[in-house]
Amino acid sequence: MKTICLVISLLLAATVLSAEAPYELLLKGGHVLDPKNNLNAVMDVAINDGKIARVAPDIDPIEARQVVDVSGFYVTPGLVDIHVHVYAGTGMRGAYSGDNSVYPDGHTFRGGVTTVVDVGSSGWRNFEDFKDRVIDRQRTRVLAMLNIVGHGMGGGAIEQNNDDMDAKATAAMAKKHPDTIVGVKTAHYRAPDWIAVDRAVEAGTMANIPVMVDFGSFTDERPFEELVTKRLRPGDMYTHMYLGSVPMLDANGKLRPYLQEARKRGVKFDVGHGGGSFLWKQAIPAIQQGWIPDSISTDLHITSMNAGMKDMTNVMSKILSQGVSMYDVVEMSTWHPAQQIKRPEFGHLSVGAVADVAVLGIDRGDFGFLDVRRGLFKGNQKIVAEMTLQGGRIAWDLNARAGQDWMISNREQQSARGRARRGAGAGRGATGATIPRRP
Amino acid sequence: MRLSHLLLGLFLLPALLAAQPYDLLLKGGHVLDPRNGINAPMDVAISGNKIARVAENIAPTEAKQTVDVSGLYVTPGLVDMHVHVYTGTGNKDSYTGDRSIYPDGFTFRSGVTTVVDAGSSGWTNFPDFKDKVIDISKTRVLALLNIVGKGMAGREKIEQDMSDMDPKATAKRAKEYPDTVVGIKSAHFAGPEWASVDNAVQAGKLADLPVMIDFGTFQEARPFQELVLDHLRPGDIYTHGYKVQVPYIGEDGKLLPYLAQARNRGIKFDVGHGGGSFSWKNAVPAIRQGFWPDSISTDLHIGSMNAGMKDMTNVMSKILSQGVPLYDVIKMSTWNPAQQIKRTELGHLSEGAVADVAVLRLDHGRFGLVDAQKARVVATKLIVCEMTLRDGAVAWDLNGRTATDYRQAYGLM
Repeated sequence: MKTICLVISLLLAATVLSAEAPYELLLKGGHVLDPKNNLNAVMDVAINDGKIARVAPDIDPIEARQVVDVSGFYVTPGLVDIHVHVYAGTGMRGAYSGDNSVYPDGHTFRGGVTTVVDVGSSGWRNFEDFKDRVIDRQRTRVLAMLNIVGHGMGGGAIEQNNDDMDAKATAAMAKKHPDTIVGVKTAHYRAPDWIAVDRAVEAGTMANIPVMVDFGSFTDERPFEELVTKRLRPGDMYTHMYLGSVPMLDANGKLRPYLQEARKRGVKFDVGHGGGSFLWKQAIPAIQQGWIPDSISTDLHITSMNAGMKDMTNVMSKILSQGVSMYDVVEMSTWHPAQQIKRPEFGHLSVGAVADVAVLGIDRGDFGFLDVRRGLFKGNQKIVAEMTLQGGRIAWDLNARAGQDWMISNREQQSARGRARRGAGAGRGATGATIPRRP
Repeated sequence: MRLSHLLLGLFLLPALLAAQPYDLLLKGGHVLDPRNGINAPMDVAISGNKIARVAENIAPTEAKQTVDVSGLYVTPGLVDMHVHVYTGTGNKDSYTGDRSIYPDGFTFRSGVTTVVDAGSSGWTNFPDFKDKVIDISKTRVLALLNIVGKGMAGREKIEQDMSDMDPKATAKRAKEYPDTVVGIKSAHFAGPEWASVDNAVQAGKLADLPVMIDFGTFQEARPFQELVLDHLRPGDIYTHGYKVQVPYIGEDGKLLPYLAQARNRGIKFDVGHGGGSFSWKNAVPAIRQGFWPDSISTDLHIGSMNAGMKDMTNVMSKILSQGVPLYDVIKMSTWNPAQQIKRTELGHLSEGAVADVAVLRLDHGRFGLVDAQKARVVATKLIVCEMTLRDGAVAWDLNGRTATDYRQAYGLM
């Protein structure tokens, strides 16, 4: 056994020293889940120059300058969370264009997320302020949907003002920032008319981007059924799919047929968990009858972060707890949302794609999952983000898999000068140890 | 008959109410409350926002809600005395802006109920900080004023400006906000002068508050030994305790004697982990030779949150990994820091104290804990936060222990 260890160490040392190795980083021994490419198998993932360089069953460690053992873990595309609120720092109280939002970086990478979509915290009037304050300064890739309200989620009456729902101006701003703006949002609307929804769809049509709807107040004059079977276009999204107000089951407890009709039309259903929009009472019977999400998202904001939502992997764990397979859960958190926002360059591990990668573990034990009314579901699996790479850079490393034993590190620091004289590479250490963070 | 029932009911009503004097009962946990010397299985009862009773066996009938915390540790809400949370100003690359973060997303999930912002703001911008962050946060945010009037508005120039280090104005501002300002900070000073340290101490004397030092650039003209042996007063705090630049080990492999001398003088040593201030190279030999931290703190900011620091329980796990008992780790994260900032109403579970409580779990396994140089220690225990109460209210509940099975909650069973 000791001999084997020695041999492995020597091999790893050789890896460290081979400066001409074609790959910067090799994630070795993980189980790759890459739904876009139909991969569901143990495979190695090699990364170079910020991109996915190769995905294959057995890549020789000698070909990489750093090797990280991820056996026992899933290797997936970096997660894409298409419903968050991150327009913080404006000083606006009680509004999602302010204090109700959070900065993304402290919430994303530790949950395996590399791309978020801020949905409607800003509108066409304040999007550029949002971009300057947050989007351009965060490490997380932040995309945005413009609120159909020009002032975005400024709170209260601001979001009810029909005069500030300008489809043209919204579409014009969206076209001005095609790299960042991926859709139009309507939310929190209370009036019994369809103005907010229709203007959002009009803007979406003009800018050729999808619309996401938070339906605000559910009223008789404005039936939800009509929203998803008539008003929205194929490709448009309804978020908060397991909200208590969504008519889900008939008197016999059967899933209402309009839902599948809407899905057949191409309307997408997103989780958008949030602080008030996920009820086990809705989710459990719905999922049991096959009404699973197209996409999983958090609706991250100051209230949801410390309540039932917590983070992306927690919301994914909730869907997993209802018997949806890990492969499907990952598809709903990567390739599906990337397609829904028409950014098919994200959400997969194809060779040449940006190296946004999540390394996920599944903890086994007794876990409680809270909904938004303190209803509890007890599950026995929980998804945990072990590592997150963004553009090939390590953005989260829960158990320091890419680190090096401190005593080795100490010795290397002491002999660094000598090594530099010899002209060898400084040698970021490769870790051979498996360190599961498990209860 | 009916009347007698009614009468009986009326008589019983107060008795029934009296039978449930507690709002919340944490039952079956192991209480660690160093201020009160408690290290035993005990129940903790809470009424309103106060600790009502800590005793061996409190009947569930006495509480409106009982939460089973058996197998878990019940401790005072953690006090993290080194964070940077003055954000939302739009200032780029500075701790009076983008390098800070809002506290609430990092505190409760890690058992923390009180943080001390360590010098992000100075006397000129503290009121803005208070308005933008302190007053809107659910976390209790206290502050050390930077001796630099503009706070940490820029390491290169602003924080080196000796003309903006005004002890009088700093002390005056501290006295204006005695509920919030708990000390003075000096940080990032390149030197070689002692101006920032001495002015901070001067302000501390004027306001009768402790000083916390980040020593900035370590250089021969301004020896660290002199800082902790001469310049600081008893009760003053050196943060970044295990930073690689701090002289720890002599040629003989033994702890340098000045450290114990400084501690004997009353100087406190705080962890202040941060992005670059915790090195296993110092921490491992120091702790093994008995130089434990007085207080454990995170130095939370955008550079530390996703790196080796991660959160308060992770930093506590690092100290635990070196053989410090959990009881002492809790003391370093509750009662010790509360005393250091002279806020002795915090950091303990005495009856009548504010009900800031952490419920912690000890996971067993193999966990990698990394320092600022990406050097790793493999630990076998990890502290995880299960629940946090702030002012008696549930602020974090990892596994829904305070909730009801959804079938019951919705009348489905």
